[in-house]
Amino acid sequence: MNTSTIESIKKELIVEASQATAFKVFTEKMDLWWPRTHHIGTCPMTEQVLEPHLNGRWYSKHEDGSEADAGYVLNWQPNDLLILVWQINGDFKYDPELITEVIVHFIADGPKKTKVRLEHKDLQKLGGGKVIESMDTGWGLILELYKQQCI
Amino acid sequence: MISSSERAFNALGDPTRRAIFEKLRVSPLAVVHIAEGLSVSRPAVSQHLKVLREAKLISIHQQGTKNIYQINREGILAMRDYLDKFWDTALEAFKSAAEQTEKQNNTP
Repeated sequence: MNTSTIESIKKELIVEASQATAFKVFTEKMDLWWPRTHHIGTCPMTEQVLEPHLNGRWYSKHEDGSEADAGYVLNWQPNDLLILVWQINGDFKYDPELITEVIVHFIADGPKKTKVRLEHKDLQKLGGGKVIESMDTGWGLILELYKQQCI
Repeated sequence: MISSSERAFNALGDPTRRAIFEKLRVSPLAVVHIAEGLSVSRPAVSQHLKVLREAKLISIHQQGTKNIYQINREGILAMRDYLDKFWDTALEAFKSAAEQTEKQNNTP
């Protein structure tokens, strides 16, 4: 196999909120901010849920009552550190075998100021040979066009 | 000058090449295994592989004396780009939500 790795995604931002608020909003209140357009359910999403404890489920709820898993909580250290396991593969499918980590540090930078550092790593695992079809643009689109023509 | 996506589009216009591409999406393979189950000659398979390579849809790496063909890494990079943008959007929304929550906490 190709052993080359793909560079992690790294983000850093300053939030004008206490460390406790930042941690709470990121975890328990994930539904407040999770982009509504990003889910893998089969119908519109109604809620993004992160169960706020170690091994807690991470999933979305949908209009038809269904739920779609995204991963789980690997490390839970309020209000400093959260590690989530992201198990959505390149085909936008939940894959229990896939482990990519999203590591989020919350660093107090004042009473009402928190530095949030996010790293999404192990991205080379997203491939699995399926990734190309999944893309909204690029090769995925090309293959979709062909599929439609071939049916 | 034709763009790389056009080139990829043209490369996948052939059913045999699509079949090869689909096979490689499952796992990297040597040419002998790629040819298995296809009703074309080995030289024809090699020719198809050349076209797919030129379209940057697949790449080669050497394993001992064998050439192993695999899906181009650019596909994974495209997913990385997607996630990169996704986190930008998500974190921006998170920032607003956290700051708003902080304000509400301080309002008696």
